[in-house]
Amino acid sequence: MTNLTLVWARSQALTLRLLPSLPRFRHFSAAADSDGGGVAVKKVTRSNFEAALEDLRTRVRESDFVAVDIEMTGVTSAPWRDSFEFDRSDVRYLKLKDSAEKFAVVQFGVCPFRWEASQSSFVAHPHNFYVFPRKELPVHGPSSEFLCQTTSIDFLAKYQFDFNACIHEGISYLSREQEAEAFKFLSSEYLDGLANSFCNLEEHVDIPLVRTSDLLFSERMKIRFQEWRTAILRSSSKCCTYEGGADDNDTQFQTVFFKMRPAIKLNGFSSNQLKLIQLVLRKHFKDLVYIRVADENFSWQRRVVYVDSEEDKALLKKEVQEDLIRNADEKVRSAVGFRHVVDLLASEGKLIVGHNCLLDLAHIYCKFFGPLPSSMDKFVSALHEKFPHIIDTKHLLNSSQAIQYLMKNNSKSLSSAFYRLCHNVSSVSQNFTSNTYLRFEVQADESGSSCFKSGASHEAGYDAFMTGCVFAQACSHMGIKFDMHTASCDLIRNEKIKKYINILYPSWNSRTVIHLDTGIENPDSSYRHKYPVIIFSNIVLIWGFPSKFKPKDLKELICKVFGRDSVISVFYIDRTSALIQFSKKELVNDFLVSKDSLERNNDPVSVLHPLTKLLEGGNTCAADYDTYRDICATSASKILFAEQADSLGISWKTKVGTGSQDIQDASCNEKTTADNSLIKHASGMNKVLKSQSKHQPSCGDILDSLYVSKSLLGKAMRST
Amino acid sequence: MAASGAKQRLTGAVKQVTKSNFAAALQQFKAHIDTADFVAVSCRKTGDCSTSSLRHPWRRILPIDTPEIAYLKAKLAAESYDILQFAICPFRLHGSKVLAFPYNFHLFPRDELNLCMPSYSFSCQTSFLTSMAQEGFDFNACIKNGISYISRVQESMVKGRNPYPKIQPVHSCSSLSVVDSVFTSRIKSRVEHWWKACKDSNSKDDGALVKSLRKLILGAILFIEDRFRFRFISLLLISSTVLPKDNMESVQSTPNYPAELWAPYLKKFKTISHISDDLVPLVVPDKSGDPMAIYVVLTSSEEDKKLFMSEIQNIEDEQNLKVRGFREVIDVISSSNKPIIGYNCLHDFTFIHSKLIAPLPSTLGEFMCSLRLAFTNIVDVNHLSKEISALRKAKNLIAALSYLKRQFFVPIDIELPAEDEDYNNKAHGHNVLRITHLFATLCALLKLFPDGQIPLGQNIKAIEDYSNIFYPICVNLQESDDEELDYTMDVKKVSTDNLMFLWGFGHLTFKELKHSLQQVHDVFMNDFELQFMDKTCAAVVFSRSESADILLEEIRSGKFYSDSLLKKIPGLKAAGYEAYTKVCKLGLWEADLADSLENVTSKSNDVLLEPSAKDAYEVYWRNELAIDMNDY
Repeated sequence: MTNLTLVWARSQALTLRLLPSLPRFRHFSAAADSDGGGVAVKKVTRSNFEAALEDLRTRVRESDFVAVDIEMTGVTSAPWRDSFEFDRSDVRYLKLKDSAEKFAVVQFGVCPFRWEASQSSFVAHPHNFYVFPRKELPVHGPSSEFLCQTTSIDFLAKYQFDFNACIHEGISYLSREQEAEAFKFLSSEYLDGLANSFCNLEEHVDIPLVRTSDLLFSERMKIRFQEWRTAILRSSSKCCTYEGGADDNDTQFQTVFFKMRPAIKLNGFSSNQLKLIQLVLRKHFKDLVYIRVADENFSWQRRVVYVDSEEDKALLKKEVQEDLIRNADEKVRSAVGFRHVVDLLASEGKLIVGHNCLLDLAHIYCKFFGPLPSSMDKFVSALHEKFPHIIDTKHLLNSSQAIQYLMKNNSKSLSSAFYRLCHNVSSVSQNFTSNTYLRFEVQADESGSSCFKSGASHEAGYDAFMTGCVFAQACSHMGIKFDMHTASCDLIRNEKIKKYINILYPSWNSRTVIHLDTGIENPDSSYRHKYPVIIFSNIVLIWGFPSKFKPKDLKELICKVFGRDSVISVFYIDRTSALIQFSKKELVNDFLVSKDSLERNNDPVSVLHPLTKLLEGGNTCAADYDTYRDICATSASKILFAEQADSLGISWKTKVGTGSQDIQDASCNEKTTADNSLIKHASGMNKVLKSQSKHQPSCGDILDSLYVSKSLLGKAMRST
Repeated sequence: MAASGAKQRLTGAVKQVTKSNFAAALQQFKAHIDTADFVAVSCRKTGDCSTSSLRHPWRRILPIDTPEIAYLKAKLAAESYDILQFAICPFRLHGSKVLAFPYNFHLFPRDELNLCMPSYSFSCQTSFLTSMAQEGFDFNACIKNGISYISRVQESMVKGRNPYPKIQPVHSCSSLSVVDSVFTSRIKSRVEHWWKACKDSNSKDDGALVKSLRKLILGAILFIEDRFRFRFISLLLISSTVLPKDNMESVQSTPNYPAELWAPYLKKFKTISHISDDLVPLVVPDKSGDPMAIYVVLTSSEEDKKLFMSEIQNIEDEQNLKVRGFREVIDVISSSNKPIIGYNCLHDFTFIHSKLIAPLPSTLGEFMCSLRLAFTNIVDVNHLSKEISALRKAKNLIAALSYLKRQFFVPIDIELPAEDEDYNNKAHGHNVLRITHLFATLCALLKLFPDGQIPLGQNIKAIEDYSNIFYPICVNLQESDDEELDYTMDVKKVSTDNLMFLWGFGHLTFKELKHSLQQVHDVFMNDFELQFMDKTCAAVVFSRSESADILLEEIRSGKFYSDSLLKKIPGLKAAGYEAYTKVCKLGLWEADLADSLENVTSKSNDVLLEPSAKDAYEVYWRNELAIDMNDY
């Protein structure tokens, strides 16, 4: 491979020379978006994957750090799965897990950076892999199904994401577990078929030939094979090849050679016919063997092979067996696909750099290693095992004083950080002579090759490049010297950035950081406390209340009952569900008990109770914070939180704590069986209402829509 | 032209409709619908419940499913997946001659209104996308130029939320509080003042300044730059939003009232029309549908007023079209009352109902009622083709067509419109032509229209017997691959009473399970058949009707789980059909069937094990099922 041209990212003239044929196919709406016009990003799809992978191996091995970024088909599977300030860390992990499990990765950016002392610049190789969970083997593929968030797809489309390339040409993958399973399946599939063909006659019970057509067919086949066999024998004694007779069966019986033996290729028989052929062969021909071999496209080829002797038969079996195993091995290896890249990143143990990368890492783990563990600390330790050194540039930007100063309170988004910190790369027009700016080169080693595209933001490859630039520049601002004399910089062991390595922050509103090496999550001083501390045990979850209530009304209502200072805050999950934080823990139970007793008593006094308003519609449920977590853990993704709660199969309407009044009806899933008299307590009436009106739009809505159809009908009648 | 000739010409004959040519195509489409005898429909989705999903094979519609369960499974699919292409073909039928106008609408559920509509997210089956890719489908174009839509119910929920001016119907308001009347008279005098000033200036110069101002204001609000011709003379904006300073004329008299204050005053705009007939009040709502600002537009004459009103109406219609998007097409079909021809209708119409009409109701009966309100007459070709017994085995359209071609000589001449520049060579939406072709062939074979004429009117007698009966395509569990051609597909009806589900047998294979069952219990000594629902659960059908009852009785009394069984197959569990129904009703789709059944049975033992003779249903052990919409 020849390194033809080194492109200075800041030198436009050179860049343009390298990418002359590329039209400017991106336009940018926001000024903050940095135009990566000149940076050549290598586009990798199925067709050039093998070569790109080999190339990447050397690049990663030589690199000082590798920046990664991914694009996926969505982030939140339902509006209420967004990250909220009322999320406890376990809830936050459940939301992260849900996102990583449901959405697909469609683009994976990998960009190795190497310090080139002789050039005193960083050399970067941005790669943009298109990934698609295509089913390549007839076994458990990556995922037979994935979710798309409409707005995310729209967003990708806006930034010129090439869906065609992704779906037509994306690289598939198998996780480690799936790989083992696939190999096991394939080889057993192969060998089973093989054992079938070579088994002895006695072991097999004959399928009785009932139908006349079957009998006739078998008889015809018997004659046909006999003819062929005699022809073979005759011709071999004369030392010349058998010339197939030109009869009408010719396309079905093609004489070929298989492993140096004469054979018939069987075409166009039904599975029943093939079964009959096998029977005939077993019964009447000791020297003809029926075998199945897989061709390149994974379809089976049936052959009938002539063997000289029993030894020859055993030899044939061995040969075919070896072939099949090799074939299976090859198939599985190629189906592993993109996971080779992730394996490479994990095995090289380089510093992995990402920007706000917790979700990215969850995706990587879930897609390429195995199912996500049940809790954050388990996930973090499993991840740490695979990637021992990870750095998040977002955390770096947030917590380093020196960089905070440079960023001047600007948004910490990747493009804005890139724009701020790496002027020299992001804007080519200005001339920077200052030494504080590092130089980056993007190397395109197959100049003129069509796989290089001009990078742009929100494209994984270019985003990875930006992340790497921001990281290197940040390092330089923090006083790490990259100079002519150091051949390579050992960033992992550098004291100055050591304290930022393996620290991720889970969410903008968590105010905590997670230490990957220990699995501990603790508050971090660099994230300011914008909100008062939330006490989760003081929180009540309510859902299914009428959507006309505004947070203000809700607070007022509860304050009427429990006192003016009883409610600290009301947080709306969506329009029919909310979390209410009380000032005292006792109030949680008080609230649940009084709601429950209100539902049980239908006396006229209770109608005057302020909470009755909240219970209008009869679908209002209430529970503690743990129920919120349990509902978040359910796998469905309904639009409304209240609908999701139903999929948990909760039948109670109020979860009263472990007090004496334990009405917490453990028997789930009861709401549809009306004939269970035990469950039919005071809320029976409401239940009927509930099953009728739940999830459905209001009666008015349906009537409206029916009215629409009716009026249309009317119109049509009039017009005809 | 013979059938084969028609087929060759199919390429390129289907009009591809995207966002850019939608409005024009719609007009043409309406005309074609008006003249058509039938309308064939077919959709391409991002996934389906009929394809094999390795993880949850039992989620597919199976022969052992009752219609109710088949509906629930179709509902699950319709709620998770989305439609990407919707092909519609209005056609006329004259004997063997078909005059067809096929359209293929490209859809994408883009959130045009920023209201999480039509769908927040949708699932994709990789196999569907891959096979679409193989046909050369352009996903980029689909996502960028696909037509969006919202359902009828969604539309009625967002009604009035689009921020475009409307002509507010003027209500008279009888009781005015003092504050109100003070405000009203103040507004009135200001409007009068402005009106007079306009009239005066009008005579002097209808200057470019006024024109450009008008353009600025309306252009900013309406987002319609050149197409809207500003014919009217003047315009007053009374707004709570602050406009740029240089719009002197309009803002001078604007009182800075907060937005919510406007609602009570809206009704009082009768005052304005009292000032003069040439003033038209226009209301601009904000995103939540509350009025945000009010325009007062001064028109020059009666004709000008009419013109202006109609232009506003046009804008509204245009907006409505933009909001409804593809739904407009469905409304056209729905209101035309033409018989709709589909294939595998349960699948397609659960999708259509959930995406374009209303969320799917929880039972089949409600669904059928609701669907009939929208489409009075739907013919499932799959049902029609059952009239020809050999076609029963045809698993798909192509198989059915090729069978007919081989067995019968029925020349069908499909005449298609000439290609124009809108037609491209991509072979999309051809299924709808196949449906048309199959329907025409079947009509000829079954001699439905002996004189070759389609009678006019809504209810065509000949097809009445066939309409509104759905035959969902279902898969047999035992068919492992396509390569195994099924040759033992016999009709076998069984009662749900004789069906039971077994799970907890570990990793036993089919043979092993069958063998060990025979040793477990006497009922398995008699004839029984076994099918795997997924890798964790098997369905058993007994040939003797009392076997299942005996087993259920023993499970109830606990005898079943006693010594002998647990030695042979430790952990084996069983439940009746009722438990399966319950799993589907509750929507416990996410897990393996064994887990879902376990979940259901462990919670309420008594209810489920009752032999429910009252709603025993005949299902097929391995054949198709039919859903008759006329029953509901």
